[in-house]
Amino acid sequence: MATTAPALTPAASGYRSGLYEWLTTTDHKKIGILYVTNSFIFFFLGGLLALGVRTELAQPGLQYLADENLYNELFTMHGTVMIFLFIIPMLVGFGNYVVPLQIGAPDMAFPRINALSFWMLPLAGILLFTGFVTGGAAAAGWTSYSPLAQDRPLGSVGPGQDLWIVGLLLIGTSSILGSINFLVTIFKMRAPGMTLFRMPILVWTVLVTSVLVLMATPVLTSALVMLFIDRNYGGSFFDPANGGNAVLWQNVFWFYSHPAVYIMVLPAMGMISEILPVFSRKPLFGYKAFVFATAGIGALGFSVWAHHMFTTGSVYLPFFSLMTFLIAVPTGVKMFNWIFTLFRGKLTFATPLLFALGFLSMFLIGGINGAFSAAVPVDFALHDTYWVVAHLHYVLFGGSVFGVFAGVYFWFPKMTGRMLGEGLGKVQFVLMFIGFNLTFFPMHALGLAGMPRRIADYASDAGWNELNLAATVGGFLIAASVLPFLWNVFVSLRSGKPAGDDPWEGNTLEWATSSPPPPYNFDHLPEIRSERPVFDLRHGRAGSGH
Amino acid sequence: MTSDSHALTTTEHSPVAGLAHDASGGISNPILGMLLFITSEVMFFAGLFAAYFASRAAAAPWPPAEFEHTLEPFSLVFPATVMLVISSVTCQIGVNAIRRDDRAGFIRAIGLTLILGIVFLLIQVYDYGLLYSEGLTVAAGPYGTTYYTLTGFHGAHVFGGVIMLAVILYRGMAGQFSSRHHDAVEATSIYWHFVDVVWIGLYTTLYWLR
Amino acid sequence: MSSSPRTRFAPGSIWAWVLLASIAVGLILAVVTDSVGALFPPEAATAQGREIRDLYTIVFVIAAVIFFVVEGLIVWTVIRYRRRPGDDELPPQTHGNNLAEIAWTVVPTLIVTFLFVISWQTLNNVEAVSAEPEVTVRVTGSQFAWTFDYLDAGGTSVAKQTVANGEGGILALPVGRSIQFRVHSVDVIHAFYVPAFLFKRDVNPDPDGRESVFELTIKGSFAGEVLRGQCAELCGLGHRKMTFEVHAMTQANFEAWLIEAQQTPPPAPSGPVGTTLQLVAKDIAYDTLELEVPAGEPFAIEFDNQDLAGITHDVDIRLQDGTVVANTTEIDGGSSTTYVYGALDAGEYTFMCSIHPVPSMTGTLTVN
Repeated sequence: MATTAPALTPAASGYRSGLYEWLTTTDHKKIGILYVTNSFIFFFLGGLLALGVRTELAQPGLQYLADENLYNELFTMHGTVMIFLFIIPMLVGFGNYVVPLQIGAPDMAFPRINALSFWMLPLAGILLFTGFVTGGAAAAGWTSYSPLAQDRPLGSVGPGQDLWIVGLLLIGTSSILGSINFLVTIFKMRAPGMTLFRMPILVWTVLVTSVLVLMATPVLTSALVMLFIDRNYGGSFFDPANGGNAVLWQNVFWFYSHPAVYIMVLPAMGMISEILPVFSRKPLFGYKAFVFATAGIGALGFSVWAHHMFTTGSVYLPFFSLMTFLIAVPTGVKMFNWIFTLFRGKLTFATPLLFALGFLSMFLIGGINGAFSAAVPVDFALHDTYWVVAHLHYVLFGGSVFGVFAGVYFWFPKMTGRMLGEGLGKVQFVLMFIGFNLTFFPMHALGLAGMPRRIADYASDAGWNELNLAATVGGFLIAASVLPFLWNVFVSLRSGKPAGDDPWEGNTLEWATSSPPPPYNFDHLPEIRSERPVFDLRHGRAGSGH
Repeated sequence: MTSDSHALTTTEHSPVAGLAHDASGGISNPILGMLLFITSEVMFFAGLFAAYFASRAAAAPWPPAEFEHTLEPFSLVFPATVMLVISSVTCQIGVNAIRRDDRAGFIRAIGLTLILGIVFLLIQVYDYGLLYSEGLTVAAGPYGTTYYTLTGFHGAHVFGGVIMLAVILYRGMAGQFSSRHHDAVEATSIYWHFVDVVWIGLYTTLYWLR
Repeated sequence: MSSSPRTRFAPGSIWAWVLLASIAVGLILAVVTDSVGALFPPEAATAQGREIRDLYTIVFVIAAVIFFVVEGLIVWTVIRYRRRPGDDELPPQTHGNNLAEIAWTVVPTLIVTFLFVISWQTLNNVEAVSAEPEVTVRVTGSQFAWTFDYLDAGGTSVAKQTVANGEGGILALPVGRSIQFRVHSVDVIHAFYVPAFLFKRDVNPDPDGRESVFELTIKGSFAGEVLRGQCAELCGLGHRKMTFEVHAMTQANFEAWLIEAQQTPPPAPSGPVGTTLQLVAKDIAYDTLELEVPAGEPFAIEFDNQDLAGITHDVDIRLQDGTVVANTTEIDGGSSTTYVYGALDAGEYTFMCSIHPVPSMTGTLTVN
C-alpha cells in the first residue's frame, strides 16, 4: 500500500551550530561537510600552485621563478595536494555524508574514529605546506622517485621532503581508518530490506573503493617509512649509493598509486550513477553489470601498476600491457550502461546533469588516450611527456572533478536545505568545460611533439610556444570558473530557494528525510524493496518495473 | 532501522554504539573493524617483506660475508619466540575464561600474557644492543636496514598490543567485562595472535631462510 | 511531497545543441588549420620508430572511431530524449538487457586483445638486440650532463663527447647501421629521450654499474638532420637543461667525425708549467668559484675530489659562450690528480665540472 512520505518538519537550526559543535562533532553529516569544505580549500590551494606552473610555462624563458627548484616544488605540491588533500578526501566526504543516509543508518559505525580521520587532514596539510618556509617544500615530484628523493647533494636536502613523508603518513592513516569505517557501516548497518543488491550504486563504489584503500594504502605507508629510514637513518632501501635499489621504490610506490587512481574515480562514478537515473527518470541501466564491473575494476586495478614503469627496462612488459588493456573492458561496460540510462529517458538539464554529461565525455577521452599508453611501444614515445599530463587530467579533472561538482549541485540541497542557483551553475559549467579542454587538449600535441614533463622552461625554437600559451589561458579560465561557483554557494546559503525533502524526485533514501536531516537521520524509513526505495514510494510498486 | 529508540539519554550507549550489538547477530562491529584493521597491517608488512626479498635478490651474497653468522636462529630470539607463542596460548585462555564469565581466570591469563609480551620486548631491545656491538646497524647496508625495519615495526606492533593488553587487564579488573559483553577482549586477542603470526613469519624468514 | 520540481528548471535542451555545435566547430577548425597532424607523432627517424608510429596510427584510427561512435551516441541521446515541458509521464523503466551487456563486454574484449597482440609484436621488433651491433655507444647520465662514449669491439671507449647543461659535445650517429646504446646513471634516475626516435629509456643508477641496453637504426633519409634529445625523468634543479643534439650522418661522415673526435682532448702541452692552483671538490661543490692565472703560459690545477667513491668530477674550461677550451678526464671520489692546461689569452673563462654543471661547480677563471 503506497503512501507518500509523511510531511516532515524541517530540522531545527542544526547548521547554525557554533564553532565548538563543529570542532567536536561526531555526526557523519557534519564530518562530511567538514571533509568537503576542507577539500575545497585544498582544491583552491592546489589550483593556485597549478597557476604558478602555467604562468611560468606560458612563454619560453624563465620569467618569474629565479630559483628553478621552486618550480619543482610547485608541481610536486600541486600533484600531492590535489591527490591527497583534495580529491581523495572530497570523495570520502561525500561518502561520509551520503552513505549512511542511503543505507538507512543513523551514523557511521565508528563516529569518533570518523572525526579523528577528518582532523588528521588539516594537520597533514599544514605539515606539507610548512616545507615552503623551512628551506623548500618537497620537490621530487608527487611520485618522489629515489635517488632524487634521498638526502644527498643535488637530491632532496632539507626537511621539506621529510615533512612530505610525515604528512602523507598521516593522510594514509586517516584513509585507512576511514575505509574500515565505511566497510563496517556498509556491511553491518543497512536498514532491513536493503540487501547488498538493493544498495545504491554510490554505496557499492564506496565499498569497492574502501577495499582498495584498505589493501593498497598500507603499502604506500611501508614505502614512505622505508624512504624515511633511508633519508634519516642511513638506510639502504632505495639508494644505489648505499647498496639499495632505485626501481624497488617505483614498484612499491605504484603498487599503491595505481589502485589510488581508482580510489580517486570510483566514488565519482558512483555519484554519476545516482544522478543520471534521477534526471532521466529511469533506473540505472544494468545495475548488476555495473556492480560486477566496479568489482572487476577494483580487482584488475591491483595488477597493472608496472604500466607506469614500462621504460625502466625492468618489468615484464606483456603482462602489464595485457592487464592494462583489459581494464578498459569493465570501464566500457560502465560507459555504455550510463549512456543507456539516458537512452529513451526524459532528460532534464539541471546543473547536476550537465556536469554528469561533461564527466561522460571527458572520461571517455581520458580512457581512450590511456589506451595509447597501454600499447607498450607507443608508451616508449609518450611516457613522461605532456601526453600523460593530458591523460591524467582528463580522467581526474574531466572525470572526478566534474563528478564532484555534479555531486555538489545534487546534494547541496540535502546538506543545507537550499538550492544552488541554476543560472550561476550553468555559467560555471560552461567556463569550466571550455577552460578545461583549452588547457588540456593541446597537451596531447605537446606530448607527441616531444615536450617532457616537469621542466620549468623549454627552448623557444622547439615549436611548443603557442600550445603552452593556449594551455595557460585555459588554466586561468578554469580559475575564473570557480568564482561563479563560490558566489553561488555564498548567495544560496543565505537566500537560496528552500529545497524541501526531495527537490529532484530522487530515488534513494536520503530523499526520504528532511533537508538537512535530523541528527539521527530518519524518523521513519520507507519500505525497501528495490534499489530505488523513494521512487517506489512515490510511484507505488507499479512504477518500479519489478 | 525503523528505530523508535530516540532514547539518547536513557540507555548507557547512544543508539549508534548500541548497534554494535545489533540483533541481527553475526560478528560485532568492533571485531569486524579489528579484522579489517589487521588486513591493512598485513598489507603494510607485505610491503616491507617485498622490499626485503627484492633487496635480498639484488644483493649477493646474502647474508653478506661480515654478517654470515650474526643472525643465529637459536640465539636469544629463540626463547623470545617461544615466549611469544606461549603468550598467544595464554591470551586465548583468557578469552575463553571471560566467555565463561570466569573473571579471575581472565585476569590471571591476560596478566601472564602481558608479562610475556613485555619480556619479549625487553629481550628484543637487549638483542638489538648485542647486534649493534657486532656491527649490524640500520646503516649496515641492505642486510641491516631490512632487519631492523622488519623487526622494529614488528616490535612497535607488539608494543601497541602490550598497551591493549594492559587496557583490557585494567578494565577486566574493574569488572567491565562479562561473558555477554567483552568485544574489546576478543578484538585484542585477534590482534595479539596476528602479532604472533607475523613474528613467526619474520623469525622464519630472517633467521632460518636468511 | 514538494511541488513538482519539473517546473523549476528551464528545459535546457539548448545545452545539447551547444555541445554539438562546439564539437562541430572544433572539428572544422582542426581540419582547416591542419592541426589534425598535431595529433600524430613526428616522422620517425629510426626503423624501430617507424614501427611504433604505424602502431600509433592503428590505435589512433580505432580510438577515433570509438570516440565518434560513443560521443555521437551521447550527443544524439541528449538531443533526442529531452524531456518536453509539461510531460510528467515516466519513460519505460528499462532495467537492463543481458544481451547488450554481453555484447559490450565481448566486443571491447576482442578489440583490446587485438590491440594487445599487435603491440606485443611491435614491441618484440623494437626491443630486438643483436649479438654484434655495428656501433656501440655508452650513455652516462649525470646531474645535469650527458656523456657519450663510443666503444670499440672490446668495450673500450675510443671517443667521448660531454654535453653539460645542453652545451658542449654532440651525439653523432651514422644512418643505416644498427647502433647499440648502453645507458646508466651515476646519480639519480634520468631518461634518454629523442622525440624523433619515438623512444625513451630510463637511465638508472645501479650499484654494480649495470647498463640498460637497446638498439636503434636511423633511416637513411635522415642523414644530415639534427634531432633534439632531452632528459625525460625529473632529476633535480637542472632537469630542464639536460638536453643534447643527435647529429645523424652518412657512414662516411660519421667515420671521419669519429677519427677527429678521438683526438680530443688534445695532448697535454709540453713546456714548463707556470702557476699551479689548488682546487677541491666536496658535496658536489668546488671550494672556490674564482680562480686567476696569468695569460700566455701553461698552468696546472691540483685537483682533489673529496666526494665519495662513485661521484666523479673534472675541471673543464670553456669560453663564456660554451665553447670547450679544455676537456679533462674525470676522476673518482677519493682520488686526486693534476690537470695541465695550455696557455690561454687574457679574458674571462668558465671552469666547471662537466658531469655536474651546477652553480656550485661553475666558476670564473680570470686570465690576465
